[in-house]
Amino acid sequence: MVSGGIYSGKFGELRKLFNALRLRGYRVIAPKLEDSVIRLKEVTSFDEVPYGWEDIQAPGKYSVREGGKHFRHGPDAPKRILYPPRLELFRLRPDWSVEYPKERFPPTALFAIKPCDLASISVMDRVQGGIGDPYYLALRKKLIIIVENCVEPGATCFCSTMGTGPEARDGFDIAYTRLDDDLVVFRPGSDLGVELLSELNIEPATDEVLRKYYDALKNASLKAKAPFELERLPDELELGLNSPVFKEVAERCFGCAGCNMVCPTCFCFDVIDEPELDGGAVRVRVWDGCFSYTYAEVAGGNFRKDLWARYRHWVLHKFAYWVRQFGVFGCVGCGRCITWCPAGIDLRETIKSVVEWVRSRGGS
Amino acid sequence: MMRRKLKVAVFKFASCSGCQLQILNMEDELLTLTDAVEFTYFLEASRATAPGPYDVTFIEGSISTPEQEELVRRVREESRILVAMGACATAGGIQALRNWLRLDDVKRAVYPNPEWVKALEHSKPVAEVVKVDYELRGCPVSKERLLSFIKQVLVGRKPYLRREALCMDCRRKGNVCVMVAKGIPCLGPVVQEGCGAICPTFGRGCYGCFGPSIDARPEALASRLREIGMKDRDVARLFKGFTGWSEKFRKVIDELEGGAR
Repeated sequence: MVSGGIYSGKFGELRKLFNALRLRGYRVIAPKLEDSVIRLKEVTSFDEVPYGWEDIQAPGKYSVREGGKHFRHGPDAPKRILYPPRLELFRLRPDWSVEYPKERFPPTALFAIKPCDLASISVMDRVQGGIGDPYYLALRKKLIIIVENCVEPGATCFCSTMGTGPEARDGFDIAYTRLDDDLVVFRPGSDLGVELLSELNIEPATDEVLRKYYDALKNASLKAKAPFELERLPDELELGLNSPVFKEVAERCFGCAGCNMVCPTCFCFDVIDEPELDGGAVRVRVWDGCFSYTYAEVAGGNFRKDLWARYRHWVLHKFAYWVRQFGVFGCVGCGRCITWCPAGIDLRETIKSVVEWVRSRGGS
Repeated sequence: MMRRKLKVAVFKFASCSGCQLQILNMEDELLTLTDAVEFTYFLEASRATAPGPYDVTFIEGSISTPEQEELVRRVREESRILVAMGACATAGGIQALRNWLRLDDVKRAVYPNPEWVKALEHSKPVAEVVKVDYELRGCPVSKERLLSFIKQVLVGRKPYLRREALCMDCRRKGNVCVMVAKGIPCLGPVVQEGCGAICPTFGRGCYGCFGPSIDARPEALASRLREIGMKDRDVARLFKGFTGWSEKFRKVIDELEGGAR
């Protein structure tokens, strides 16, 4: 009988878990290898999950290879599912009556997402959930989360610094960790998680397995670090408002807002009314971003007309304003903005340099 | 809803006619559209024409000859809203490649009697000659955006079309960045969205037919392309292709080519 606690079993139990989700009618969204990139997509078979593949990530670079033991998160964050890039909000009929889209979201299981992405969902719960976005909440309440702890973080990961990984702490239904090829550790995080795990052939973890488990996660947490500490970071960054670092880094920035798009928490959007020829209209919500000039454009222009000011705003929002606004950091340390920046700009270096600048002037 | 039909004109200058063709390509919408729109001057569709003034005039093509300069001024006077349509009208088009060469050399290379050809020194975007109210970019222009523009004019709002970097649309669409994942040079970070990210969707880099996005920083992209191993000459060529004569790309090209023109 499974209750709270830590259990272990063979790799085959993961397959059973996956199939159990499908049998219960969940749409399962999981990592999936597509055109040499690990995506987050609907999968119908456990064999589609790219166990046995590994990604190699660096600033502005991404590749995969077969034979690696651990894959990490690719470019798609859960945001893509929970907060779609383009969402029809409603239709206006020619007689000006309003038609809301019918129930669109099937019960969904996120399978094998990473702790940083789990953390991003808890950030979205505060932001989109906090303001009561009905589109977000409709899907969120039908969501079940199976998270895979990270034994081998990638080169752009810094979840350890952000306190979001490599081990998932809460907010999941089941967390699992692949220790060896045929040894998986399971932890339930909800009643549903307990129920699902009860169907598997798993045992309470022995001391030896527990030791292995804690060692693996400890090693991982030493890797996923950024060259800065969170303590006092919001204050230090605000003292760095006039640091030349932002301008220097922004010289390399294209302003493409790719980072906004891949960021698992960036929530800026644009609302577009598209008139139809019959006199009706469609209102859609699309992802926008603070790097774009038009996002905060008002009559007469944008208050942050220079790109460096928009870059600075993004960094400060994630690491300072967000904390005051929502009580958590806006960054979960997934490193997507680093890997997927076509200019190869490393956010970690920016923050490190700003903090150094502040300290060199005796600030903080 | 009955109202006066919108009088629309389509004029062609130095161009391939592909942009106008996008209007005729609106096969599913064309019949509904003509309930609200009257094409009063649109030679690719009909030889029946009516004089101006026009509510909306779409200009296809660049201004390449003295006659065209004259004509486009007259068209401007007859048009309430003037829209430059496509890469030629908004940036001078592929034919603007000749702007980096000597006109006489180009004429001699193409025509047996070059002295018969009266051409302007440069193939120019419409906005260099008359005031342009809106730009619809692309080679060819996007049918969806063209239709969206017309629909918005019809309801009487100020047309809103996003002018940000293609990257945003590409990533919204769920494409994987070809530059990051495949090392393919792509102009997407500095090119205006609107095409639906056709090329990256098929695993190719954007070659810039929509021209610079609002607030584009092509100089930063050029540095990055050189950093990942492209030669100056190749970077310049990539920018030159379709919208090289746009102010922002021209500056980068000239810098890469050492200011030679």
